[in-house]
Amino acid sequence: MYSLEVINLSKHYTETLLFKDISFEMHPGEVMAITGWNGSGKSTLLRIIAGLVRPSSGKVEMSIQGESIPKELRRRFVGMVAPAFSLYEELTALENLEFFCKVRGIAHNRESSLQMMERVGLAENAHKFCRNYSSGMKQRLKLAQALIHNPPLLLLDEPGCNLDSKGMKVVESIISKQRQWGMTVIASNEKREVDYGDRVINLSE
Amino acid sequence: MFAVTTLIAVSFSIGSFRIAEADRPFLYAVLLWIILVFSALSGLSRSFVKEEEGGTMDVLKLSARPQSVFLGKLFFNLTLLGALELIIVPAFILMMNYDIQLPTFFTAMVVSGGIGLGGGTTIIAAMIAQASARGALFSVLSFPLLLPLMITAIKGCEKAAVGANSPGWPEVRIAVAYAIVMIVMSLLLFPLIWEE
Repeated sequence: MYSLEVINLSKHYTETLLFKDISFEMHPGEVMAITGWNGSGKSTLLRIIAGLVRPSSGKVEMSIQGESIPKELRRRFVGMVAPAFSLYEELTALENLEFFCKVRGIAHNRESSLQMMERVGLAENAHKFCRNYSSGMKQRLKLAQALIHNPPLLLLDEPGCNLDSKGMKVVESIISKQRQWGMTVIASNEKREVDYGDRVINLSE
Repeated sequence: MFAVTTLIAVSFSIGSFRIAEADRPFLYAVLLWIILVFSALSGLSRSFVKEEEGGTMDVLKLSARPQSVFLGKLFFNLTLLGALELIIVPAFILMMNYDIQLPTFFTAMVVSGGIGLGGGTTIIAAMIAQASARGALFSVLSFPLLLPLMITAIKGCEKAAVGANSPGWPEVRIAVAYAIVMIVMSLLLFPLIWEE
């Protein structure tokens, strides 16, 4: 049983305040949507939760069975997709997935990687080099990369970015599957994506 | 490419005839290490910058332990440096007619110096990856960090060339100690650099 607690989180860069005293708690099965104007700190909030950026004040606590998970181990429990993320262009999509499995120390065979590619609708293009992928296909591959270790916390920064209607269906199915056992935080201003959330935090307010 | 170009430029402009025989061991050692260090600086500095520019840095941060990333980059840099030394050192010896009296000592010096150089440049490359003025910063940080190793390696290669055998090869031991300290310190400090 996992839980996520964001406690009085604030972030500012030099004199620019992004957000102040953000607090919320999440449990498995919940989907949280974060909205706000451009520059309001949606992506930064997700990056702080993932442990990629230090907050100016406040803290993020992730627990398993009530036991706090140390920050340096949090990455094992987090899967994240963001527009700024890229995968290795010089590798094929399948090689990318296999590389991240190895790096994460996950015992993964080619078949399960192919199943993941199937899940995001890329099975037919699994052996293509990423540099030959369209931006929508890259977004699907980023989703596969974020899901490869079955993370209990899924952070989706603009998940529908570059995706067509079929791609949006993939996102929808990922969120509904995650809702069965894990937590999802979505940062977006797209109404369709925000609507997936059970709760909404508006950083512009 | 930088190493080969420099080597050819040095061998054509200086050659083996313009330097007095007594000065050769020292000057050749200096030239060899200048070529090796500057080749390493130009090539190995890219190891983390490539991740930053390619946008793969954050995915890697989320996926891998910092120490694993550092060790991976270190092994890559050491392999690259090893290959560079395998090409450049024999070519330098042949083109400059470099007479080495103690080839085993010389080889040990080049190998241990190379490992220290790889360790030093890898951690500096990690430090500069997220900076804006990377080129300038890399030179500024590299100079004080690599200078002790360079001086030791030059001294060792000079001794190997003239045949001044010191018991226990102190220069090789210093270079090995430098490499160990640099790699251990890097493993301890890298997680702090790796985070924001």
